[in-house]
Amino acid sequence: MKEKKITWYSFFIFAFFAWFILSCLVIPNLNTIWSVFVQDGQFTLEPLQKLLSSERAMRSLRNSFILAPTLALTVGFVGISLVLITEYFDIKGASILRLGYMTTLIYGGIILVSGYKFIYGSNGFLTNLFVKIIPNFPTDWFQGYWAVLFVMTFACTSNHMIFLRNAMRAVDFQTVEAAQNMGASPAKILIQVVLPVLTPSLLAVTILTFITGLSATSAPLIVGGKDFQTITPMILSFSKNMGSRDLAALLALFLGIATILLLTIMMKIEKRGHYMSISKVKTTIVKQKIRNPILNVLAHIYAYLLFLIYVVPVVLIILFSFTDAATIASRKLNISSFTLKNYMTIFKSTSAYKPFLVSITYSCLAAFAVAILVLIACRLIQKQKGKLVSAVEYGMLIPWLLPTTLIAMGLITTYNTPHIWMFNKVLTGTSFIMFLGYVIIKIPFTLRMTKAAFFALDDSLEDAAKNLGAKPFYTFFRVVLPVVLPTVLAIFALNFNGLLGDYDMSVFMYHPLNQPLGVYIKSLTDSQSNADNSALTFVYAVLMMIISGIVLYLVYGRGEKKGKVNK
Amino acid sequence: MIKLDQIEVTFGDFVALKNINIHVKEGEFFTFLGPSGCGKTTTLRTITGFIKPSSGKVSVRGVDITDTPIEKRNIGMVFQSYALFPTMSVYENIAFGLKVQKMRKEDIRQKVYAMAEKVDLNEAQLQKKVSQLSGGQQQRVAIARALVTSPEIICLDEPLSNLDAKLRVQLRNELKDLQKRFGITTVYVTHDQEEALTLSDRIAVFNKGVIEQIGHPDEIYNHSATEFVCNFIGDINRFEPEFLEKIGADRFAGIKINQHCYIRLERLHVNDLVEGDSLKTDAVVQSYEYYGLYIKYSLKVQNHILKVIEKNSGKPLYQIGDKVTLSFNPNDIMQYGGDKV
Repeated sequence: MKEKKITWYSFFIFAFFAWFILSCLVIPNLNTIWSVFVQDGQFTLEPLQKLLSSERAMRSLRNSFILAPTLALTVGFVGISLVLITEYFDIKGASILRLGYMTTLIYGGIILVSGYKFIYGSNGFLTNLFVKIIPNFPTDWFQGYWAVLFVMTFACTSNHMIFLRNAMRAVDFQTVEAAQNMGASPAKILIQVVLPVLTPSLLAVTILTFITGLSATSAPLIVGGKDFQTITPMILSFSKNMGSRDLAALLALFLGIATILLLTIMMKIEKRGHYMSISKVKTTIVKQKIRNPILNVLAHIYAYLLFLIYVVPVVLIILFSFTDAATIASRKLNISSFTLKNYMTIFKSTSAYKPFLVSITYSCLAAFAVAILVLIACRLIQKQKGKLVSAVEYGMLIPWLLPTTLIAMGLITTYNTPHIWMFNKVLTGTSFIMFLGYVIIKIPFTLRMTKAAFFALDDSLEDAAKNLGAKPFYTFFRVVLPVVLPTVLAIFALNFNGLLGDYDMSVFMYHPLNQPLGVYIKSLTDSQSNADNSALTFVYAVLMMIISGIVLYLVYGRGEKKGKVNK
Repeated sequence: MIKLDQIEVTFGDFVALKNINIHVKEGEFFTFLGPSGCGKTTTLRTITGFIKPSSGKVSVRGVDITDTPIEKRNIGMVFQSYALFPTMSVYENIAFGLKVQKMRKEDIRQKVYAMAEKVDLNEAQLQKKVSQLSGGQQQRVAIARALVTSPEIICLDEPLSNLDAKLRVQLRNELKDLQKRFGITTVYVTHDQEEALTLSDRIAVFNKGVIEQIGHPDEIYNHSATEFVCNFIGDINRFEPEFLEKIGADRFAGIKINQHCYIRLERLHVNDLVEGDSLKTDAVVQSYEYYGLYIKYSLKVQNHILKVIEKNSGKPLYQIGDKVTLSFNPNDIMQYGGDKV
């Protein structure tokens, strides 16, 4: 038996994690609850009464609970369609369609919504077109519930394109052939053989969509209008005012409870397990021809219509990013109006490129810090078992259960006064707090993925190194780290991507002098009457798409090619 | 019963099959044997209808089914992976084909239970998920599912290939037993020559999209029609022309030492003159592999190595360096035209 030695550094690491989890993940959120129900040292239900009597707040709650289920349905429908079109049915041009459907991976959040607004908004490209055809067409048609639902339906299919598509590709095609052989019709095969295999993944992504719907931020902010504001925007506006901060916290709490509830259901479903195909010699799916000619034509029309919805905003944003303000204002493309001026402005004017620099710096630092933090945690989890370690692991997963808004609220309301846990430093209003927020929201995803990489590691590698006389540190840096490094780098890249255009966290905690990109773009979008602002928005959007595209290619694109060679 | 007539299958420019002519008789266990990529599975899939031949005709009992859709052929199939539906129970898997035929619930129940009994699946197993069954049970489910709709023919695509060696032999026997019990015409695809020899009534040996030989197992083994077949099936020694000349094989009628001449390992006898062994040579034991049931010796004869199988019958083993006499019957030499390798 090996003797368990508590070395000075493992003690230090434990102490650090204990402090980090308590001060950053537990106390702020408990403090949020505390601040709602305990005021001036006394338990009170006053905020609840205030909330119940606030018409705006109640309406936002109702709106969120209308949006979430309907969104789960519409996204589910579109998402399944996308997967069937690209992976199951024989649709001409599927590889181009797939590229179009995947644009949401490089183009999401605030820039996606502003792109949609540019096309469908009151002076939008398509709106103007409709007005020309139908003179009495209402120019403010793209506002409220339907607009939010429309934008989010197409913005939230990324999970389907990644997870559901993978599940579809894992379907054992011999089962389809077996069903054919026994005389089942194409519809029967799809419904009874293929879709049941996808059900667990489908349920999981549906719950994720539901949560996204509940905590929707950018879409209701930009196209929701006065009548359709949801919980998060409401929290945002309440939190700006000291007098209504308790209301904001209470709303965030509601969101948190709903999220925890849904995630618990999801974990239950995950526990029931995915349908493991029993075969060791799987054959990949062969695209199914739709034999009925009418259905086939309809399917193609539907596929390409979806393609247009996905691609047109992207194309227009790229095109208009090269045009001058007058063209953007009039939405009339002309060869002579193309210019590189917008790009020059961004690279020349400090005020224009600063948000970009701020976001890149913050994202890079935060992604790096998360990677290091999680690497150490994973090493701990892998090497030392026991209750303490499990506590560290579960503690680190807390942010996964809570909506970004609640975490942000917790941080800014807890550390706006000196606190012993933060060594009596005030964090709210400093440039450090946003960095901390960025790190916190990326921990759960990073932990899950990195841990998987650690556990896939062959134990005998380490044993071999030890057997050859290597010390633990040397083994870790020369043997373990190189093996998990590709995964760590990939997660770093994805985290960087996700944070670059972040709005939900940033808007609560950015430093006024260091506006990050998401917040800046939102402020530009608000005043879209100013065409110069639009031009800037588009250039940012294009630059971000390029960065995200490169990152995604580095992470997935090359991997997929390698995979193909291996086949 | 099944007749393949001048079948040709192409994938793009690639000719996967050509001149395929096979006639499988009623109740026969017929095997397609060959290395991977030789076209045996393609041929099977042409019979089941997953592949449309670019030319040629498939017929069953004289009825042309070349253009009949898969589901109307009434040919059962057992897939390499078994292709059991992971989302359904064992019962639902077996009942699937019957449900598609819109049979009455009660009839389905009876049929499934009757079939389950025949393949030794009990009530409890029927309610399980397919992933909870062992490899052998999964195979029986796959066979039951293929047979429950009473097809005229059953096709099996390497059903034993993803099992371990021991289970393979056990299931091989079960499979043969089931086929005998049902008496159903069976087309079987495998790359395992032992499987083919032990199971089949007749075998078609495939190579690079053509059929090299069709025959009973002993014909294929003892009288391989082509050099490919004799090399593919079983272990074999090749004789050098100089060696044959030295021991005087050319004095026997019919032996042309310039052709490629082969002899099976078990037809060479060590220190044991069997009747008809009119060729003899001295040899030295170079090495041996001990298999328990038999011993495989490598003997050095002049400048080349010949392999010999000796039954482990209790005789003392030969040691490395032992001098022995090797003898064989010239009639056991198989020879093929020198132009083809």
